Amino acid sequence: MRSPGGGTEHAWTVAILVAFALLALLPLLTTRDDVLNFVFLVLLSITLAQSWNIVAGYAGQVNLGHAAFFGLGALTARTLWIAGTPVVIAMAAGAAVATGFALLIGAAAFRLRGAYFAIGTLALGEILRTTVGNALPEISTLPAASIAGYRLAPRYYLALALAALSVLAVAALARSRLGLGMQAVREDEDAAEATGVSALGLKLRALALSTALAGAAGGVFAYYHISYYPSHPFGPGWTFDALLMTFIGGVGTLQGPVLGAVLYVFLKEYLTVRWVDFHLLIFGALFVAIVLIFPGGLVQALVQAGNGARRRRARRPGATT
Amino acid sequence: MTLLAQQIVLGLLLGGLYGLAAAGLSLVFGVLKVLNVAHGELIMLGGYGAYWLFALLGVDPFAALLLVIPGALLLGAGLYTGLFGFVVRAHEETRIKNSLLVGFGLALALHALAVRLWTADDRSISTGYGGAVLTVGPIAIPLIRLASLLVALALIAGLHLLLARWRWGKAIRATAEDWQAALLTGIDIRRAYLLAFALGTALAGAAGTLVSVGYSISPSIGLEWTLKALIVVVLAGLGSMLGTFVAGLFVGVAEALSAAAFGGPYREVVGLVIFLVVLVLRPQGLFGRAPR
Amino acid sequence: MLEVRGLEAAYGDVPALSGVTLQVGAGEIVALLGPNGAGKSTLLGCVSGLVRPRAGTIFWEGENLLAIAPHLIVERGLAVVPEGRRLFGSMTVEDNLELGAFSPRARAARRESLERVFALFPDLRARRRQVVRALSGGQQQMVAVGRALMASPRLLMLDEPSLGIAPQLVRAILDALVEINRAGVAILLVEQNVRAALTLAHRAYILEGGRVVGEGAGAELLGDPHVRRAYLGPLAAGR
Repeated sequence: MRSPGGGTEHAWTVAILVAFALLALLPLLTTRDDVLNFVFLVLLSITLAQSWNIVAGYAGQVNLGHAAFFGLGALTARTLWIAGTPVVIAMAAGAAVATGFALLIGAAAFRLRGAYFAIGTLALGEILRTTVGNALPEISTLPAASIAGYRLAPRYYLALALAALSVLAVAALARSRLGLGMQAVREDEDAAEATGVSALGLKLRALALSTALAGAAGGVFAYYHISYYPSHPFGPGWTFDALLMTFIGGVGTLQGPVLGAVLYVFLKEYLTVRWVDFHLLIFGALFVAIVLIFPGGLVQALVQAGNGARRRRARRPGATT
Repeated sequence: MTLLAQQIVLGLLLGGLYGLAAAGLSLVFGVLKVLNVAHGELIMLGGYGAYWLFALLGVDPFAALLLVIPGALLLGAGLYTGLFGFVVRAHEETRIKNSLLVGFGLALALHALAVRLWTADDRSISTGYGGAVLTVGPIAIPLIRLASLLVALALIAGLHLLLARWRWGKAIRATAEDWQAALLTGIDIRRAYLLAFALGTALAGAAGTLVSVGYSISPSIGLEWTLKALIVVVLAGLGSMLGTFVAGLFVGVAEALSAAAFGGPYREVVGLVIFLVVLVLRPQGLFGRAPR
Repeated sequence: MLEVRGLEAAYGDVPALSGVTLQVGAGEIVALLGPNGAGKSTLLGCVSGLVRPRAGTIFWEGENLLAIAPHLIVERGLAVVPEGRRLFGSMTVEDNLELGAFSPRARAARRESLERVFALFPDLRARRRQVVRALSGGQQQMVAVGRALMASPRLLMLDEPSLGIAPQLVRAILDALVEINRAGVAILLVEQNVRAALTLAHRAYILEGGRVVGEGAGAELLGDPHVRRAYLGPLAAGR
């Protein structure tokens, strides 16, 4: 996956952050919960997608166990927060646990390549989900006092902050030595190794960043929901959502996951009205089309459309080349 | 002790279906080098095929195999021509990765379609003879599941013979081993791919039919069965259909033993753990060439 | 029968063939000689359809081979014994041979072809049900040649058939080639064993760095000083 280039990404970063800044004003402008909930979901999805993008787009590995880290973050944060820890610390702890687990299995996991890494992480995710589901089968509900004092705004702002953080992290990564090293590994691991780059080290660092963000997102999830089954955030659906959003938007780019997330959540909300999960049918088909025809996703499509428009403009009589 | 023996027998019976499910995946991966993660969804479709033949037309599920298998063959041919036929144009590493993604998209679409058409409810075929049980000492062997095991074995043996004796069966094996040499020998490897994929889908459809009558189906069983098939394939390695069947039995029994040891809910985990261990200990995968 | 003109091929950025022109006539044995990396295997790859050339033409009896899929090229009458044999190791001798007659035209004549192969290589008849992997290098080479013969070819192409084979078996294989040729099959032989190849061949081409640098009758080239120095001198390979 090629990113269109530093200049475009820089422009997108600014645009996205401006949009986030505007979104920060939203709770002041409206009290409609459904709007805020919708935007919350978009923001959470952006973080989920962007975090997945780090390993897939920049380090080139398809991690099908992403939900495991989301779940671990949620589990840790929920437990700590209900026990009285301030939520931000609980979230940070969640991120730490997720990252810790990632580093634990990372060295072994990265012995696998390509499809084997994918199915291996899928199995890992399922193991965690099943184990948590068996160990904690009962629904987790907030104590009555918390429910009474539940306000949407702090959740909203946490999600917004995290989404902004994830976008900034990817922006910084793309331009850093770490990021460039990752891309070298993604393009050709053996060649990169030959030039002295430690592929494993880079992949582990990518995984650490990715899972930290995913774990933090899990913390936001745990903070947001009043009640849910502890195994729910471990479900493969979360991974698949992140994967779809990222691929459809454009894997390996900065704006891809953001665009994909927005489109995905929009379609999900609007299509679900008539046909539950219809958005998945569409996305499934879109996804196949993307893999076979437009590997660069929406971003590639936009770039090509832009080039096409530029070429058409140049061809019009009277235009200078 | 009796309970354990009973559990093991049940595990064996289920393991036969694991083997059948895995055989189709193994064939496709071995020949096309394509990892079809929608394989479980194909099993699911086979199950629904049998279910509706029973519910709407009263066709006995074992008889339904005669309809589901050809139908699945056609479906497989269609899926290859319309989808996976494009994936095989890349070389091996890209091919595997692309097939994973394409299969994923397909699985998603099929799952959503199934939910839309048939709701997310569990379904099971209850025939008149459904409750029949063969009692061997203290052990009760559900007849339907026993028959399913025998059918699975027969299908696998049939496939083995097909690959060993049929001209195109040999061509398929040759293509799996060395596609360039196969081309040089005059084999149209695209046709070999098509046949292998169709056969793999047919096996999936058959497995689904047997699952629908002995157990239950719903749109969500896809992922579960894809994972089961993957586990068995990784354990067995590629190349032998009979070996895959035996590995399936092994996984079935392993699950039963772990359920006995750690309690029912953890039976799923043991298969996945075995899978991961085998996968990691052989980082090139059981299918890969020697490490680079 | 076989006309190659101006063939150019490369692997990525690395050029392998830079304008090769050669012919093989009916009933001829043509040798293709040259050092490693000269492009000999690439040439065979282009003719058999596995390698796509960047430029040039390949015509077989007036038909453009570049427009035909590899498995159909076999149907047209060209068969290859690839370098390293590339047999289906997990399958039996008989299965390998049978697969050689896969194309429809060859299939029709498969019983006769099989008899001919066993007549040429009696050793294989006894081993017909053995798994190929278990055979020695020389026996495998016989199976490889046999498999190609099963395609009822009019042109048989061999890529380094003597590589890694014991000398007595090399002799047997080369003798078999002479017999095959006597039956009317043209042969294009890529060989490192220059002396043996030139003794066998009616004509030969010398390929170096992707170009034809020499051409002539077999005996003539045997006497050529450049050839003697480069390929037949005390430091060159060849037994």
